[in-house]
Formats: sequence, C-alpha cells, structure tokens
Amino acid sequence: MEQPTNLWRDAWKRLRRNKLALAGLAVVAFLVFVAAFGPWLAPHDYLSQNLDLRSVPPQAAHWFGTDDLGRDVLSRLIYGARTAFLVAVAVTLIAVGIGVILGAIAGFYGGTFDRFVMWFTDMTMSVPQLLLVVVINASLKQPISTWMETQYLASLNPIWRNTMLADFVLVFGSMALISWPPYARLVRAQVLSIRSRPYVTAARALGLTNRIILARYVLPNAMGPLVVAVSAGLGTAMVLESAFSFLGVGVTPPTPSWGNMISDGLRVWTNSPHLLVAPAAVLAVVTVAFNFLGDGLNDALNPKGQK
Amino acid sequence: MTQTLLSIKGLSKRFDLRAGAFGQTAITVHALDDFTADIRAGETLSLVGESGCGKSTTGFCLLNLHRPSGGSVIYDGQDIAGLDEDAMRPFRRDLQIVFQDPYSTLNPRMTIGEALSEPILFHKLATKAELPARLAQLLADVGLTPAFARRYPHELSGGQRQRVAIARALACQPRFIVCDEAISALDVSVQAQILNLLLDLQDKYGLTYLFIAHDLAVVRHISDRVGVMYLGRLAELAPARDLFARPLHPYTRALLSAVPEPDPRAARSRQRLEGEVPSPLNPPQGCRFHTRCPLARDPCKTKVPAWREVAPDHRVACHAVTGKDQTNWETP
Ligand SMILES: Nc1ncnc2c1ncn2[C@@H]1O[C@H](COP(=O)(O)OP(=O)(O)OP(=O)(O)O)[C@@H](O)[C@H]1O
Ligand code: SF4
Ligand SMILES: [Mg+2]
Repeated sequence: MEQPTNLWRDAWKRLRRNKLALAGLAVVAFLVFVAAFGPWLAPHDYLSQNLDLRSVPPQAAHWFGTDDLGRDVLSRLIYGARTAFLVAVAVTLIAVGIGVILGAIAGFYGGTFDRFVMWFTDMTMSVPQLLLVVVINASLKQPISTWMETQYLASLNPIWRNTMLADFVLVFGSMALISWPPYARLVRAQVLSIRSRPYVTAARALGLTNRIILARYVLPNAMGPLVVAVSAGLGTAMVLESAFSFLGVGVTPPTPSWGNMISDGLRVWTNSPHLLVAPAAVLAVVTVAFNFLGDGLNDALNPKGQK
Repeated sequence: MTQTLLSIKGLSKRFDLRAGAFGQTAITVHALDDFTADIRAGETLSLVGESGCGKSTTGFCLLNLHRPSGGSVIYDGQDIAGLDEDAMRPFRRDLQIVFQDPYSTLNPRMTIGEALSEPILFHKLATKAELPARLAQLLADVGLTPAFARRYPHELSGGQRQRVAIARALACQPRFIVCDEAISALDVSVQAQILNLLLDLQDKYGLTYLFIAHDLAVVRHISDRVGVMYLGRLAELAPARDLFARPLHPYTRALLSAVPEPDPRAARSRQRLEGEVPSPLNPPQGCRFHTRCPLARDPCKTKVPAWREVAPDHRVACHAVTGKDQTNWETP
C-alpha cells in the first residue's frame, strides 16, 4: 500500500495494462517532444508572412495551410505547443509550490494558521476564475508595460522591451493565483492523515524537530496523490491558457497560442475552416490525452479505488 | 531497595472532542485518571486491561507524546509532564517507545539504515565515520545482519520490522522503553522470539520496561510487577507473583479467571463479568467498576476508592479490600 519502490513499479504495471492511459501518455510524450524541439521541427518561421499565400488550404508546402496573414499554421501550432507547455509547467510549478507550502504547514501545525489558510482557500475558490484573471490582466497589463518602458529608458537594456516576458509573467501569475487551492487542500488532507501515523509519532519520540519530521517523514509520504493531481493539473492549465488567450486575456498575439489561433480562426471559419479546425483539434486531442493519463495514473496509484 | 526511575503522580488525560454536525457539542474522553505509581530502575512493569482502558494513553503521557491534562512525572529530579518539545528533547533520548503495529512504525520512504542513522546523527551519538560500525552493532543487537541497512521496510517481515523498531529505540541509548503491545500484532511463533530479544536487551543494557500487553500468560512470565487498569484507572498493582497468586481487586479476579489455568487444583471459581465496559465519555461515578462488580455496595456508587497499599508493595483501589490478603464483604 505504502511502499516506495513497489508503489511505483506496481503503478507502472497497472498503467501499462490501461490502453487509454497509454494512448494519453503517448500523446503527452509527443507534445513534450514537439515543445522541446519546436524550432528544429517547425518547417517555417512562425512569424514570417507570405502575402502571396494567404489563407491557403492544406497543401504540400504547408501541411495545415496558412492563415490570413500567410503564416504557416503548422509552425504556429508547434510554437503554440511551446506556449501551452511553458505556461502549463510554470503555472503548475508555482501553484504546487504555494499549495504544498500552505497545505503542509496548515495540516501539520493546525490551529489559527490552518483556519486562516482554509478560509483563504475557500475564498479563492469561490471567486469565479475567469473574472479574477480578467480583472488582474485588465488592471495590471497597462501599468506593467508602462513600468517596463521606463525601465528600458533608464537602462536601455533590451530585456525591458521584451513584451512577451511581461505577458508570460502576467499569465503565469494570474493563473497560478487561481490554481493553487486544490493542491493546498490535497496536501493538507494528506498531511492530516499522515501526521498521526506511528512512524511520525516515533519520529517525535526520537526527539526530532518538527521541521525534520515534516520534511522527511510527512511530506515524502504525501506525494502519491499529488502526482496524479499534477498530471491532471498540467492538462487543465493548458486548456485554461487556451481559454484565456481565446478570450484575449492570455498570451498576446503575435505570440502563437492555440487559444488565440482558435479565436482568430473563428472569425474566418466559413472561408477557411482549416484555421479553426487545426488548432481546435489539437487542443481537443491534448485535453483528452491528459484526462486519460490522469485517470490512468489515479487508478494505477490507488488500486483500491478500482474495486 | 532499587532506585525509582520514574515517579508518576496523579497522571491524567482527558481528550476534549467536538461532536455534532457543527462541532457544537463538547465531549470529553476520560482516558486516564489519577495514575500513581513508581517505575523502578531495571524492572519490567506490565500494564494489562481491556482494550480502551488507557494503557497506551499512560505510555504516551509518560513520554509527553500526549500532553497530560494533569499530574506529574518525575524523572532525574525534574517534572517532565507537559514540557514543550524543546524542553523535552534532552529527555527523549533516555525515554523511548516501541509500538504495536510493525507495518506502520517505520517510514516507508527510508531505508533501515537511514531510519537508524537519524537519531544517532541528530543526537550526535556517533560521528559520520563511526556510523557504519554503530549501525552494524545495532542491527546485530536485534539479530539482523548489516545488509538490512540497505533494505526498505516493505521488504521485511513483521518480526524483522519490529526488530528494526527496537533497534531504532536502542539507537538513542535509552534507559527506559515503553513497549506498547510490541508483540501483539506478530505471528505467535515470532512473538516468543521478539519477547526473548527484549529480555536479552534488558539484561545487556540494564533497561527498564513499561510493558503494555493484553496477554496475561506472557505478562506473568516476564514481569516484575503488574498493574491492572480498568476504564482509565489503576485497579491493582503488585509484584507479578502476588498478583497472580492472590489477586485482591474483583476486576483482577475476573480477568484472571478468564485465563486458562494450567493447574486444575488451583482453578478459581469462574467469575464471568456481566455487561459491557461503560463508555469513557461518561464513566460511572464512584468506583468505575461498580456497574459490573459482583461485590458492589452503596459506597461504591458515590465514593472513589482510595489507592492504598494493603500489603507490602501491593496496592489496590477497592472499598471491599480492607485486610492484608483478602477481599472482605465477600460473604456478607
Ligand atoms: N487521540 C485520541 N483522541 C480521542 N480519544 C482517544 C485518543 N486516544 C485514545 N482515546 C480514547 O482514550 C481511551 C483510552 O485509549 P487507549 O488507546 O489508551 O487504550 P488502550 O488501553 O491502549 O487500548 P488498546 O488495548 O485498544 O490499545 C479510549 O477510549 C480511546 O478511545
Ligand atoms: S470499590 Fe466496590 S465496586 Fe469497586 S471494585 Fe471494589 S467492591 Fe467493586
Ligand atoms: Mg493501546
């Protein structure tokens, strides 16, 4: 049940028998590959416009056709995978970091801090996510770019001219801000159940400090369910990024994101359906893949839940 | 007369819980009440009693793993009851515990070597260079080879895990170990081995044990003294021989009469206990045993029987025990 090497080995055995989860894993692995080697895989520059070849349907030189500015759709999809992946990983890392720290301390020490964290978690979860992100973006986007401009003028360091950076920071930040509560709850519940195990009491009886006990006895044993949550969370974060970009509060064009590609495609779909279908299909496949993988991991790590 | 290692006076523990959908009802579990006894250096003091009578609570409160609600535990001239973790830390080395469940007593993510090194390095009982030799010595002490240091708990049998748990307690070089049903969860064949191991270690290192058990046959053979608990209170405490030969408290008698007697001539008249153990949420007034005691009379319902020494080193809490060696008002 709670056995380190066996746990992962058995989980892998169970996962291997699950066809849907394996398919999900394959898609996710392919996505990671594409995101990692995008610049070498993309047949064209994702920004270069070929005004002679605008909105052409799929053909040999452009497998997924071109958009209304004559940019290669496949290359933009590949770079979109980079965006989605970067955002998903960064957001999940930040959210898991916040969740683990708050959840672990709240669950382990209890008391006033615990009540405060739980109240804060409930508050955050009760605010509509989209609203929060829109508000954060709307109120911070302008001030940040103004601030970056003044920094640039003061230092002439080109890094302050990189609007993509500001964009990402804002998207990561606001998405992480709405994504941490489930992790905090999960970790807190785990820590609560683990802190009364005999091996934790034994560690106290040895005279070890709370910090050592939390770091070496409680947290390592709370990680199993977190792995499942993170795999599902990565998928959710990708969809969320696309959703926000679709609504215009995510990554700003011309940086490609599946979300803003869908949004652009929607305007012209009667004439050039491929501009909508390609990014939408990719997003759908990736979402489903993450769900299959998440379900598979869940079953593999909690064999009792299957019965 | 041997030295007193731990002097326990009036040790009590109440668990305050909240019940009801909104936690509106405060309820109190009277898990341990007015526990008074001395634990002597080098002895094995056993605690017996039905499940839920507060044996583990006694062990936990002694070691401050539960914060006692009242009373004192004098060790080395200092009252350690209720000390906070930092103040308690120096005493933790001396006072150790081995738990019942061998399957959850070891951190599943640590090798045996890591588990044993932790207290040694934390309390600076050996340097990094001395560590391998110290680990080998500890493992040898509990009958395991040095190769076990690299294994994980799930690769071990229940008996082997319990050996590791004992080694972990020994790693602190303690003077006192609470064995909280340390053999109860093991296979019968393994129980004897672990029991012998504990006795050998006691000889070798001059350890003092508080041995919590529910198997009276085991207790009889290994204990210097035996305490019988009922519903959070000590009913009787006496040298093992005395207790088994001349039990004075009606509850002790009932417990012993439930044990198969090897010698038929000594078979006591069977006393079956009527009724259920009352809830520790709302324990009976007066003597807590009065709802089931065959000898109960009026004073038992209102007056808590005093904890008295009725014969040399033989203590009882019962109104009916007045004489040296017997229970009075048996035949009114
Ligand atoms: N952490 C706790 N919170 C609330 N009640 C508790 C707690 N620990 C023990 N109790 C209660 O205190 C009483 C005494 O429990 P304890 O574990 O000391 O009994 P025990 O004699 O060791 O029993 P067993 O033989 O089952 O181990 C029981 O009624 C138990 O339900
Ligand atoms: S005090 Fe009374 S009720 Fe309690 S054990 Fe003695 S005789 Fe029985
Ligand atoms: Mg117990």
